Order: sequence, then structure tokens, then C-alpha cells
Amino acid sequence: MDGHDRLLAAFLAGDLDPATARRWDDHLLECGRCWQAVRENRAGCQAAELLRQPAPAGLGDRVRFAVELAAAGSASRRQPGHGVRLRWRWLAGAGALALGLAVALLVVLLPGGRASMPAAVAAVARYAKMVPPPARQHEPGPGGRTVPVEVGRPVTLTAGGQRIVVRTWRLGGTEAVVAVSGRPFAMPPGAQGASGGGMAWSARVGKLGLYCINGRTSELVAAAVPVADLAGLAARLPPA
Amino acid sequence: MGDDHRAFLDATLPYVDVVYQVARHAAGAGQEPEDLVQETYLRAYAAFGSYRGENTRAWLAAICLNTARSEARRRRRRPWEVPAQALLDALPRGRVDSGGAVPDVADVVIAGLDAEAVSRCLALLPEPQRVCIVLMDVAGYTARETAEALGCPRGTVLARVHRGRRRLAQMLAEAGVAHGRS
Repeated sequence: MDGHDRLLAAFLAGDLDPATARRWDDHLLECGRCWQAVRENRAGCQAAELLRQPAPAGLGDRVRFAVELAAAGSASRRQPGHGVRLRWRWLAGAGALALGLAVALLVVLLPGGRASMPAAVAAVARYAKMVPPPARQHEPGPGGRTVPVEVGRPVTLTAGGQRIVVRTWRLGGTEAVVAVSGRPFAMPPGAQGASGGGMAWSARVGKLGLYCINGRTSELVAAAVPVADLAGLAARLPPA
Repeated sequence: MGDDHRAFLDATLPYVDVVYQVARHAAGAGQEPEDLVQETYLRAYAAFGSYRGENTRAWLAAICLNTARSEARRRRRRPWEVPAQALLDALPRGRVDSGGAVPDVADVVIAGLDAEAVSRCLALLPEPQRVCIVLMDVAGYTARETAEALGCPRGTVLARVHRGRRRLAQMLAEAGVAHGRS
């Protein structure tokens, strides 16, 4: 870009002082090349403006949830005495290292030892815990049969590099979160194989029951019901 | 840090739409813009403690662009297959002889605009020009904010956006002439 073009860019941005800008106004009336450059600049700008597109509905909710998840994760990772001074950390760290290695070995080697919860399962469980309980009992549908009603919009999450679409259903007095992913949900510690074909498993996380059927499209159902009831509940929800 | 994430969300969530505009054009092949927006916010949240709060919009744009670049580098290590036809479709058609009278570039561009063609031509611009156009014309950043996000002088941004707009208009005109819209 030569000095002439640079001045023209400054003129179009309104950066020139009034006297110089007036001279450019006069120049544009006479110079076909510069006038063409101005027209191309404006046409290019108008064309690019066509590409504005509103963000998809629910993107804000998704971002909010991801940040809340990260905040909750970092809070739980924080140890008591986080604020101790650095030199004490060094001293404590040396002792803790040996202890930590021993504990890690025990976790890995002992049967039933606690491994960490897979990130995708943890994200779905945390999401399910955030779903408020139903305000009132759901009315049965025609014929006295309770039909599932979707609550809110689907939310897309990414956890542990796994993309998950989460929907919430209300069935009678139960809120169930159904997470669908193109990748299987890894079994959390303490999970057991379940009926349902394929790679099905069930687990309990606090009050929450988890039931998963892994396949080409994997589905994880989370609801505050006994684990034994989850397969039946999943069968009554719309297919993923 | 209990309320840190609330302060962060209050400061940044109003710009999710703007970040999405940037992400749509910064996301590489096989990367969803929504995923890029989410990753941008997570990285921004991780860095929020050291953020001095001068221009949140520009700060988010810079993180979004860096995140897209690092994701592109990561993906380059794994080959990404692009069908040959998709590459051909992305290129504007060559200029054809329109019988001597060459129509005015700006007229052709304005007459026959469609967002898909604009998007394809924009993708063919050199990255520095493309990024400046995305930030200023698509996402609505000022030249000063764009300069801050990119870490370059404002004059450089103005020069890049000027050249980029002109080239974009010329490419669209060439594509329009080739398609018989004049």
C-alpha cells in the first residue's frame, strides 16, 4: 500500500484534519482511480455486513453453564490452606509428595478405590443437580397416562472434549435429564453393568441415579430416582 | 473466588453475540463456532484474575482468535480431509470476457450480493485482512478495538481493512460477472 492509499484509508476512516479532508474531497472529484477505490471500499464493507448473524438461542445459557461448571470444578479442587505462604508450600509439598504417591498407588491398586469421575458424566450429573424440582405435580394426559413434557431448550455442552446435547424432561413428578453424545460415556467409579443391551451401565452419584446406554449414539439419563427405576424411566422418554 | 464467576459473567456475557460473530469466521474446518465461543469464555475465565478490564470486547476477541489458531494448529497435526469439490466450490469463478464493457465493480457487488458468496470470498482473503474485516465490518468493532485485539497499530488496521474490502469487492464482482450478473 503506497502513501496515497494510506491517506485514502485515513480519509475514509475520518482521521484527516478538516483542511486535508477537504483537499481529498476535491481530489476524489477529479481522480477516477481513487473514486473507484472508495466505491470498492464501500461495496466490500456492505458485503461483509451481510455476514452478521445473531448468535443461536441458548448460546448464552451454554456459556454460562460451562463457566459455572469450571468455577465449581476449580472450587472443589482447592485445598484447605490454599493461601499459605510459598515457603510453607515448598516444605509441605515435599512431605505431601511421598504421601500422595502412596495414596495414588492405593487408589489404583485397591479394588473399589475411587478413580476420578469422567468429565462428561460429571458435567451431566452437575447439570442434572442444577435442574430445579417441579413446582407442581404434572397433570396426566388424556387417558390418564402421564406424558413426558420437555422443560426449557436443549443445551449443548463440551466436557472432556466430548460434545453433549442435554434435554430436560418432566414425567409426572420426576425431572429427568437426557444427555446424548456421539461418543460413549465412560463408566464412572462404582458403576455397574446394566440391562439394556450394548454397553449399558448404571451408577449413583449422591441422590442422583445415572443410567447409560452406549452405542453409536450414546444416551445418559440422570434423575433423582432409585437406580433400579432408571431403565423403566428411560424407556418412557422420547427416543434421542 | 465464590463470586468470581458471577463477576466474570456479568462483565463478559453481554458480548456473547459479538464473540459469536468473530468465532463464525475464525473457526477452522470441522470446528463449531459455538464450541469456539465456549472455549473462548473458559479461557477468558481462567485468565480473568489477571485481566485489567480496559476493553472487554477487544480482550474477548483476542482470546477467541488465539483459541481458534491454537485449535487449528492442533487439527493440522491430524490431517483433515476436504472433498476436492468443496475446494473448487470455494473459489470464485474466473473472469470472463464480457464483450469489452467491464461493468463497475461496486455496481456488480451491490446488485448481486448473497451471503454465501461473500463468505466464500472472504475466506480467500489473506488472514490479516480477513480478520480485520470480520472484527470491524461483521462484528462491529471500532478500528481502535480491532487494533487492541490484534496488538497492532490502528493505522495498520485501517490499511488492512481498506485493502481487504477492495479485494473482497473485486472478487465478488469477478464471481458476479462470471455468473452473468452485471
